[in-house]
This record gives sequence, C-alpha cells and structure tokens, in this order.
Amino acid sequence: MKRVLIASILIIGVAACGSGTKEPAAGGAKELEVLYKVETTWPHLEKMLQNAKKQYEATHKGVTIKLTPVQGNNEAYYTKLALLNRSADSAPDLYYHDTFQVNADVAAGKLAPLDEYLGAWPDWGTQFPDSVKQAAKGGDGKIYGVPISTDTRGLWYHKDVLAKAGIAVPWEPKTWADVLTAARAIKQKAPGAIPFSMYSTKIHGEAATMQGFEMLLYGTPAGTLYDETQKKWMAAGKGFTDSLAFINTIYRENLGPKLSDAHNAKLSDKHTLEWFPQGKLGILLDGAWTPSAWKPTGAKPWPEWQQKMGWTRMPTQNGQEPGAVSMSGGWVMAMSSYTPNKKEAFDFITTATNKENSMLYSVGTGDLAPRKDVAADPAYSADNPSVKFWTELAEVTHYRPAFEEYPKVSAEVQEAMEAVTTGARGPEEAAKAYSDTLPGVVGGPDKVVAGG
Amino acid sequence: MTATALSRPVARGPSGRRRALRRLAPLGPALVLMVLFLAGPILWSLYVAFTNETLSGTNSVSPSFVGPANFVRMFGDADFVNSFTLTFVFVVGSAVVGQNTLGLMIALLQRGRSRATRSTVNGVVIAAWVMPEVVAALCWFSFLAEEGTLNTLTGIGQEWLYTAPMVAVILANVWRGTAFSMLVYSAALSEVPAELVEAAAVDGAGTWQRLWHITLPLIRRSIMANLMLITLQTLASFGLIYTLTGGGPGNASQTTPLYMYDKALRYGEIAYGSAMALVMLVIGALFSLVYLRLIKVED
Repeated sequence: MKRVLIASILIIGVAACGSGTKEPAAGGAKELEVLYKVETTWPHLEKMLQNAKKQYEATHKGVTIKLTPVQGNNEAYYTKLALLNRSADSAPDLYYHDTFQVNADVAAGKLAPLDEYLGAWPDWGTQFPDSVKQAAKGGDGKIYGVPISTDTRGLWYHKDVLAKAGIAVPWEPKTWADVLTAARAIKQKAPGAIPFSMYSTKIHGEAATMQGFEMLLYGTPAGTLYDETQKKWMAAGKGFTDSLAFINTIYRENLGPKLSDAHNAKLSDKHTLEWFPQGKLGILLDGAWTPSAWKPTGAKPWPEWQQKMGWTRMPTQNGQEPGAVSMSGGWVMAMSSYTPNKKEAFDFITTATNKENSMLYSVGTGDLAPRKDVAADPAYSADNPSVKFWTELAEVTHYRPAFEEYPKVSAEVQEAMEAVTTGARGPEEAAKAYSDTLPGVVGGPDKVVAGG
Repeated sequence: MTATALSRPVARGPSGRRRALRRLAPLGPALVLMVLFLAGPILWSLYVAFTNETLSGTNSVSPSFVGPANFVRMFGDADFVNSFTLTFVFVVGSAVVGQNTLGLMIALLQRGRSRATRSTVNGVVIAAWVMPEVVAALCWFSFLAEEGTLNTLTGIGQEWLYTAPMVAVILANVWRGTAFSMLVYSAALSEVPAELVEAAAVDGAGTWQRLWHITLPLIRRSIMANLMLITLQTLASFGLIYTLTGGGPGNASQTTPLYMYDKALRYGEIAYGSAMALVMLVIGALFSLVYLRLIKVED
C-alpha cells in the first residue's frame, strides 16, 4: 500500500525526474541505513552501534549513518528484516544478521559477498580465528558477514539449591541420567525451587530449537538433523526420540517450570531476573551470555552471582565421547546486495567490529568475543569468571545445518517439542509426526534419509 | 417496486439515467480511493495464494505458480482445521451470543431510567470500547494472570489463561465489544413507538410477550445489521487474542487470523497465509450474504 502511495506521488509530482532505487543523493551526501535489534533489557548492540556511528562519521565526511532499531525479540526482528528486504527500496544497507538466516538470503541474492574487501582489511587475517570466519560462509564458499559475536551453550546451576538437595558442588554430570537424578533430588529435598528449566515451546522460536533440542540431539550417538555425507535431512531416529523423551520426563515428572511459564514469552527474564537471584531455580540449560543481566549495568544487578552460580558442560546422553556437547551460533554484520555504496558500507562494518566496539559489545552481552585481541584483553574477562569455561567449550561445539530450509525444519522441531511439553503427544508420536512432515518442508522425500 | 415503476413510467429514459448518475456521483471519490489503495493489495494476495512465495530464501525472489496446492494443503492441515473451529467458537461465543445479547440487554434495561444512570452505564461500557485493543488485552491479562486481580480477590490459584484460554479471550472480547451492540440497540429501541408497547400492556401482554411480539419484530433489521457487523469484526480479530494468549498454550486459542500470521510472517510462508486469508474472505462474504438475505426475507 505504501508503495502504491509513493508510486502515485512520484507519478504526479516528479514524473520527469525518474525514480531509480537507492541512488546516491545528489551533492555527494550519502546515507547508510543500519538495521539492528534492541530490547529494554538488551541495549548493548545499540550502545556499540552508536559508538561506531560517532567514530565513523568523524572520519568519513559526507556519509551519514542512520541507525534503525527494531524493538522486540529475535523472532520479531527476523520478520521485520525479511519484510524490509523484500524490496530494494526498503532494504537497509547494512544489518545485524543471525548466522542461521544467512544462507536463505544468499540463495535469494539479498546479501553482498565481502571477500574482495576482506582481503584488504588486515584485521580479518590477524584477529579472526579461522573457525569464526566460517560463521557467515555461504554455500558458494564466499563470506557474507563479519562476526560480531559467537556463543556456546551448557548448564548453569545455583550452588545453594544443589547443596540443599545434597548434591556436591562443583557439580559435573556425566550423563543425561545424572542431570535427571540431580533434578529429582532438588524436587524432593529443595521444595520451592524449580529443579530444571529449558526452552521447549514454539514461542521461544530458535532458542527452543538450539538451546533446548539440539543440545540434547547432538549429544546422542549419531544425533544430527542433517547428514553431511549424504547431504540429506535426517528423519527422526532413536536420538531424536530420546531427546523428546528427555523433555517428556522433565514435564511429566514435574521437574520443569509450570506449563504456563514454559509458554511464557518472558521465560528467559524469569530465569535471570527472578528465579536464579531468588534461589528458586536449580539447573538451567542455556547460553554463555546468561550472567550479562547480573552485571552492575545489567537489568538485574546481582554481584553475588559469582559465588552463588556454577556452570558445567552439558553431558552427552550416555557419557560417550567427547563427553559433552555444545551448540554455537552467533551474529554477523552483513551488507545488502542492494546498497550502491559498498565501499563505504564495508568501512562501517570494520568500524563496528574494531577492537573497541567488539569489546563494548562482548562485555555488555556476555557473548563470546570473536576477535583474538578482545579475548586476550584482561578487561574482557575481568568481572566474568565463567568466560574461560565457555570459550573452551568450542572444543566440543556443533554448528547448525544453516541451509535455506533450516528455519522451516527448526519450526517443525519446535512443533514436536511443544507437543511433548504439553503432553499432547508422546515422544514416539511426536517424532513420527516430525518424520511425516519433514519431506514436505525440505522439498521432497528424496532429500530425506532415515534417522540414526 | 413494481408499483412505483408503473405509476411513474416517465422516470425511464435520458433524464432517469442522468438522475442515477447524479445519485452515484458522491460515491465516486470513495470508489477511486478504494481502487487506488485496495485493488493492488487484494489482487496481489489473490495471485500470491496460488504461488509458493516465501518471505525469504529462493522462493521470495522467484516464486512459481503452484495452482490450488495451498488450498489442498489447508484442508489436510490439522492445525488449520483446529484454528477454523476455534474461530467459529470465538465468533459465536463472543459476538453472536455474547456481545449481541448483552448489548441488547443493557439497551433494554436502560429504557426509562434516569439520565444519570444512563450516562454512567454508557460511560463505563463505552470506555471499554474506546480503549485500544492492546490496552484492553493487557487489562484482562493482569486480571486473569496467575498473580492477577481475580486470583488475589478469590484466593484461587488457577492459571486461567493456561487452563481456559478460549473462555478468557471470549470474555475479554465480550467485555470490549458490547458497547457497539448497545449503541446500535439503544438507537433502534428509541424508534419503537411507545404507544404500541403501552397498547399491548393495556391488552394484558406481559413483559416477555411485549419484548417478543412487539419490540423485537420492530428492531429486527437492526439486529441483523448488528449481527453482520460484529460477526465480520470478530472474524478478523487479531490483536486481542495475540496479546492475551498469543494463540497458546500450544494452539489452544490459535484462531485462523493468528495461525495465518504465524505461517505467513513468522515462518515466512506468505503464499500459504494469503490462501488462508482468501478462505476467510469468502467465509466473511458468505456470512454477510446470509444476514442480508434474512433482512430481505423479513421485508
């Protein structure tokens, strides 16, 4: 509708001028629009970008950075970005992008490859480890974004709650059974505390798939969503069903939060702002960034967390090699293929991901720093004793099969998890429903193999 | 109609045509605006419903025509059928029964009351209506939430939005939308001649008989018009449910507009969402036809 309105105004008013898309304005003044995400409890990216804007505009006369925030959670951000990206007129020049969405946009030709610029940027070669560089690699082998953050996942626990349940800290579970045993002990001996929490419903979107389901599935023998050798998606096998069975046990034995909380969009705030500080949660399956809320500048300053909280690796199902599992994702700064000012846009990416800004972001969010110089800086780990542990999880971490179909597969995984969470379906039944819908989602039965 | 045409045969011909034109002329600007702003999007969504267009990925730039595949899929989709049933329950429960009956009742009770009573009741009922949808939903959320007003007052530990999500959204929608029906019926009732009702009373008709045989038949056209309007409004209701329950838990309160939003905007299946929108459009049109038909029959 807006386009029609604009079109009609253009036709009436400036018919003679022509209306090219995204042409640099006359007089050499250029504007770069940067789209990013902000939440009241998560202002860190905004702070970093405002700093980068100041630095950039001081050295690039004639170029203005227009920061366009999207208020809301990740799901809202993905939708807004996808809608803006539908037309060259509305697409932002640069955007904060979740790595698992990159391939879909590469396939649609919406992202600009950065290789020719990266070669001339010394930091790329010296400061970014090779593993991190892969974060936004397209199916064509080109790089489509510079990492802002990376992360790992594992278990957080409240030492007092575990102690009350008679569990020795530091706690190091070796199998899923150890985790469930601890949760049952908490339920019995520490009433008033929720034994275990994780994301397992659709409202938590990708967080449910990645922090929740994949942390289980990738810890089962041969557990994966995608078979790399056959280049096919896996139907639900034993690992898939066992992962659902774990979730089923949590909720059927009342080891998890109440179902209304499991469905609450603000579950993450409940974990960090209420339950952990009040000692009402035992164990949480979540990401490295969890303590960022407890910093003096965070949403719920809680200096005691360093004594009260413990962190440990999420074990594999039966303790099989390598003993633990982690998932990694992260966000990059990406460039639109529609922007006419590619050189200027890339310069902004380098400013936003320089040492100072990268530090500002990582210290604020608690995400792991992608840059070597930031990671080595004492200021980075100064008030977060857990950083070293989470960084070392990189040894056992997995990456999502971030192909074009992945977001849809992820939605089906959430469907299965939610059915098990509410008890609408049993694990086998939900796994079968997943296998039944998978071919339709990934483009035909020939793209699917039987699960292991 | 025939009688008029016969008694005025001269009305046909050039002057008649000119008169018809003169009558239609005021519609012109509205028609132009509608074509300009709505025809595009409507035609576009009609087209998209027959493709496999998505929000991102390859199909967002080069969608292909898939014929009626989206519609075929819809009728085999258990979640769609579920959403459809819930929409039906929601429309009947909150609009046809809830708002309609309550609005009529309040309007009837207000007849002959003092000015002060009427303005107080009107004020309260209309306040709920004037309130933006999201604010109304948040009010109900804080009323029904686990630590909300209702549980605090009654001492019950019930998670209403989780255990009875449909009841919650229906109640909230009745509360919010009753004002509209009340206003329509207040206006209609003021047109009912007092002498008729009095005459019936003198003839010995009781309250119910007067309502059933005098008042209701006289305002039947307002009833039909009101039903049509609130049905269409409720059919498309989105914000209230979205804010209150988000369609959950699971999909226990996911009416078709919410399911449509989920599919089209969250999971990016714009084509499938558009197909559902078209089906809803057809259903809305069918409802209107039935109501219009009923008004005509009564004439």
